[in-house]
Amino acid sequence: MRQADHRDKDIFSLINPIDAISPECPLEEVYELFFKPQYSKLLSLPIVENGRPIGVISRYRFMEIFLKRYARELYGKHPIREFINGAPLLVELDQPLSMAAQHVTANMQFPLTEDFIVTRRGRYLGVGFVMDLLKAMETQMRANTEALEQANQQLKSSQIALVQSEKMASLGQMVAGIAHEINTPLGYVQNNVTMGQELFQQIRVMIAEYEALVDNLLDEQASEVVIAAQMQQIAGMRADVNAQEMLGEMHGLMDDSMYGISQISELVLNLKNFSRMDAAATEAVSLNDCIESALNIGRNILKHKVEVIKELGELPPITCAPSQFNQVFLNLFTNAAHAMQEQGTLHIESWAADDAVHIRVTDNGKGIPPENLGRIFDPFFTTKPVGEGTGLGLAITHQIIQKHGGQIRVDSRIGEGTCFLITLPCASPVSSTAPRQPAMLEAAA
Amino acid sequence: MSKPTLLLIDDEERIVRSLRMLFFSGYNVHTTTDPQEAIRILREERVHVIVSDQRMPVMQGSELLGIARDISPATMRILLTGYSDLDASIASVNEGEVFRYLLKPWDAMEVKKVVAEAAAIAEASFDVQSHTNTQSVVERKKPRVLIMDQDETTAKTVHDTLGDRCEIVWASDAQHAMEELAKQDVSVVVSDLVLGETNVGYILKTIKQINPQTQCIVVTSFNDTSRLIELINQAQITRFLPKPVSKGVLARNLESMLERFHILHRQPALQNRQTVAPISDPKEKIQAGNFIGLLGRLRARIGA
Ligand SMILES: Nc1ncnc2c1ncn2[C@@H]1O[C@H](COP(=O)(O)OP(=O)(O)OP(=O)(O)O)[C@@H](O)[C@H]1O
Ligand SMILES: [Mg+2]
Repeated sequence: MRQADHRDKDIFSLINPIDAISPECPLEEVYELFFKPQYSKLLSLPIVENGRPIGVISRYRFMEIFLKRYARELYGKHPIREFINGAPLLVELDQPLSMAAQHVTANMQFPLTEDFIVTRRGRYLGVGFVMDLLKAMETQMRANTEALEQANQQLKSSQIALVQSEKMASLGQMVAGIAHEINTPLGYVQNNVTMGQELFQQIRVMIAEYEALVDNLLDEQASEVVIAAQMQQIAGMRADVNAQEMLGEMHGLMDDSMYGISQISELVLNLKNFSRMDAAATEAVSLNDCIESALNIGRNILKHKVEVIKELGELPPITCAPSQFNQVFLNLFTNAAHAMQEQGTLHIESWAADDAVHIRVTDNGKGIPPENLGRIFDPFFTTKPVGEGTGLGLAITHQIIQKHGGQIRVDSRIGEGTCFLITLPCASPVSSTAPRQPAMLEAAA
Repeated sequence: MSKPTLLLIDDEERIVRSLRMLFFSGYNVHTTTDPQEAIRILREERVHVIVSDQRMPVMQGSELLGIARDISPATMRILLTGYSDLDASIASVNEGEVFRYLLKPWDAMEVKKVVAEAAAIAEASFDVQSHTNTQSVVERKKPRVLIMDQDETTAKTVHDTLGDRCEIVWASDAQHAMEELAKQDVSVVVSDLVLGETNVGYILKTIKQINPQTQCIVVTSFNDTSRLIELINQAQITRFLPKPVSKGVLARNLESMLERFHILHRQPALQNRQTVAPISDPKEKIQAGNFIGLLGRLRARIGA
């Protein structure tokens, strides 16, 4: 019951342990009390009988009393009981601060002339100041909002982590592209091999015929008729299949096939490197490698549309989860490609300075309107049609960079292009809470 | 008889080289990696079959096939692609009106078979074209339109567009649809992929077997690329319109499909252009078999 303790303490901390005053105490004496320095902040004094508060007497009330002529002389010796407000503002200790505050604000008088009395099960505990209560209330509310904010933030980032994994799938676009990239070489390699098989089969038959013919030619007993028939058969085959030419052709296709296979292996290797999603595993890598890797994976999106200009400087290795940075760059590159209506250029620069690594990605795409600049890193902010953008690319990018102690900044001009600048400290504090990403692409590879 | 002409286009040269080798013995083969070159060849020569990649730098395959359709309507169009995104597939139906949508890597035997089939159909189409017998068949009956979609807006658009010229039947469930299909020939079917609880894919795939002239428009919010590709190949649906579909678009497509039906009705030789591939899904195959059986019984009863 942590929460309950918390509440108790809150009202409890508001209590000023003022000695209770008996209702029989003379007016004069009570009045004197108000001048004691320790009571200087009090608006009113509690009157308690048998441990139970029966009223309060305020400075204000005294003013009223003493405004009357000879009041002091007349009433000075009277018991205070005669002058008190018998309906004091009571606050039970055992309730949430907010309820107390509600009760107090609903019942307090203006101008504020009295403090409230804190009780526990009806028995007097002390005096509380309304202002303190309101202040406590405000602090708590702020804390609440903060907690709410925090919870919200947490939720958001866990949501990102979640979708980050999904992102690999919602790279559906990307996956389809990669499928295309693999299926194309696979297409001709498979076709070439099939045709090769068939050709081999034909040639085998031919060779068998040739051998039979040669055998017969060497055999003196073989009949001319049989040999003539064989020769005719072979001539027919030669007319059907120009083996020499076909073999020559096939030779070229085999070269193609080798090329295709190397393409596929390269892609698979890239995919594997790219998605080394045991992201907890950090390595010291040069971010230039991540850039290359992302360019490779994004090849399909960039290929026909984007001219890539690289100016990659010597970079000190950074300890990070490379797969995450692959993703960072892939996100930036795809965004740049998407921002280009037609052909465009993507300028990628990297350099090291001041114990930090800097990477600048500049495109000459359509740019980001100023009113959107502040929102592009927000999760789910997208200007792309439904199904095309999740709006998570940059949110994830931002999260990853932040986790590595770095910064990402953006500058953009409509119609001219957009520039992202990433700065990462060389001694990167890798947070151990890096979200684990599933090995989805790896499985696909 | 001279060899049929085949035009192969892909932005990867190795693909066309490989395909050329597959076809060179039976066809007069043209290959190119440039869509403009392909267009030029289509203009200058009688091309029986064009096989195109989808993803190419300057022009999408579906677009090229759309152009081919205008230049040389008799040419059979086949898409061979390693990339199957929904947009491309939709464009290949609506724009390219492809005969087959084939995926890379392909099966050499299957592609050979499909191309041979396409070449034969094209040959027949060219023949029809050259003996343009414009004998207008007097339409005796009103064309029938079958709606297999519980969506009222679809039904309303169909009524508003064709109500005065066609008999319109709105099937409430799969059973009802099958009965209507059995009763009488249908000119145009407008269908979602699911009717009530039933996945009606198998019905669409059987329609061409009942009447090859029937034109099929799919309106749906389903967007599964592989299902769409199946419907292209095995049902020869002629339009795929993602929901929500605007009234204007549906109306326009209804008109053109009705027109298409009339053309096929006048020129039955052309109906082979929409020959379907066999149903691949085993469950659907059984469902389709049952449907044909039911059809036989119903027709026998009606006929009797
Ligand atoms: N280089 C850029 N040029 C122009 N606009 C950009 C650029 N990068 C990002 N944006 C804008 O910022 C938005 C958010 O980008 P973000 O990468 O987070 O999401 P997305 O690209 O829309 O979707 P996703 O990356 O999830 O597929 C984009 O929709 C786009 O409007
Ligand atoms: Mg993005």
